[in-house]
Amino acid sequence: MSDVAIVDYGINNVRSVRNVVEYCGYNPIVTHDADAIADASHVILPGVGAFGDAMNNIRSRGLNEVLERHVREKGKPFLAVCLGMQLLARTSEEHAEDGLPHCGLGWFEADVVRLMPNDPALKIPHMGWNMVAKERSHPILANIRDSNLAFYFVHSFAMRCNDSDDVVGYAQYGQPVTAIIARENIVATQFHPEKSQDSGIELMSNFLRWNP
Amino acid sequence: MLKKRLIPKFLLRDGRLVKYVRFFENERAAGNPVTTAKVYNDYGVDELIVLDIVPSAASRGRVVEIIERMSEEIFMPFTVGGGVKTLEDVNMLLRAGADKVSVNSEAVRRPEFLREAARTFGDQCMTVSIDYKRISPNHASVFIDGGRQHVALDPIEWALRCEDLHCGEVLLGSIDRDGTMTGYDLDMIHKAANVLSVPLIVSGGCGSLQHAIDALEAGASAVAISSMFLFTDHSPIKLRSHLFSRGLDVRASTSSRN
Repeated sequence: MSDVAIVDYGINNVRSVRNVVEYCGYNPIVTHDADAIADASHVILPGVGAFGDAMNNIRSRGLNEVLERHVREKGKPFLAVCLGMQLLARTSEEHAEDGLPHCGLGWFEADVVRLMPNDPALKIPHMGWNMVAKERSHPILANIRDSNLAFYFVHSFAMRCNDSDDVVGYAQYGQPVTAIIARENIVATQFHPEKSQDSGIELMSNFLRWNP
Repeated sequence: MLKKRLIPKFLLRDGRLVKYVRFFENERAAGNPVTTAKVYNDYGVDELIVLDIVPSAASRGRVVEIIERMSEEIFMPFTVGGGVKTLEDVNMLLRAGADKVSVNSEAVRRPEFLREAARTFGDQCMTVSIDYKRISPNHASVFIDGGRQHVALDPIEWALRCEDLHCGEVLLGSIDRDGTMTGYDLDMIHKAANVLSVPLIVSGGCGSLQHAIDALEAGASAVAISSMFLFTDHSPIKLRSHLFSRGLDVRASTSSRN
């Protein structure tokens, strides 16, 4: 069986992503090597940390080009998680300096903006278990009942998509929070499936079986 | 909206699961932490808190090993703490599989450490743990070093200061009620929840299903529970379905054991 590439761009903790892939019965490799990514059956872009640093690391390792080739051109199944999802946007205002937003990979017509729930009692970061309401179905949600679409979120910024067709599901947190986006062979979650117990394992397992 | 969270709290001593009353009395052995964590995972708890209560260089190694083993099979958030004093300590626990690291005494001694850690690892990674005791009917005070050392800080003022230092969450524990199963300190929870803008996890005193309801209704974002789960027949499944049926906004149970 081919490997599942977990893209290593110098972030701290990919252990739980690696563990959940292993738990689902696949062989994870944490790598930034172009050949290893080319050989992998599936590619996961994890994400913890700050947007600007992450993009700098991705560019300095040439990973933007590697991912462009294997994911966007060749259509390898691809899952981005949390900050990984945000990196697919055009821009992010996280720690924007001099008012200039950071540039992302730009795979989606979307921008990352600070969460501003319209209720001052709601705390930031949006941290904890929240429900995702489906806008449409998607193979990674197969066999998960709507009442079990509770996932673990930790974030202060969120993606705003221009094209609502890209959005698979939203969470509600004083505002709609883009929770899952997808297009063709690309899917991304704002929440952490690798921290979301049974529903998260089911989602990961669906992704790892997915052949778009 | 965000669900209220049910969080078993594990106290480790030399890598063993233990439980006391009021921090020092009646030590009881409570089993193997990894096995117990797996059971709780099957019960569908929302997170785990693991605290090394007699931290040393040797016990840190044990804790790292335990967290690594837990994270191989349990896919939910872990908060880990006990004796965390340096950025390297935080880093080591995050790498082992912790999602959040809890800091207690060192934050009091060196508040700047909390700020540095939040800047380095992100606010959401840093939980500040605050233990307090009533020192007179209307006055509570913070205690550090596992409840041994009194410091002249009001718990709520200190929690607010920690928020300014960018902690992501506050774990507020009553020493007086710890292990007594007589109910949470609702007055304190109410006051703290009203002024804090970060999530509040409360600890100390849960002994019945109603106690958990009381704490959540008083404004807690999460209830940390130790004795009740370890020593009574109120399991996390039973608590969750009870809270759910009473209309509290908790996750619906997905457990196969339900």
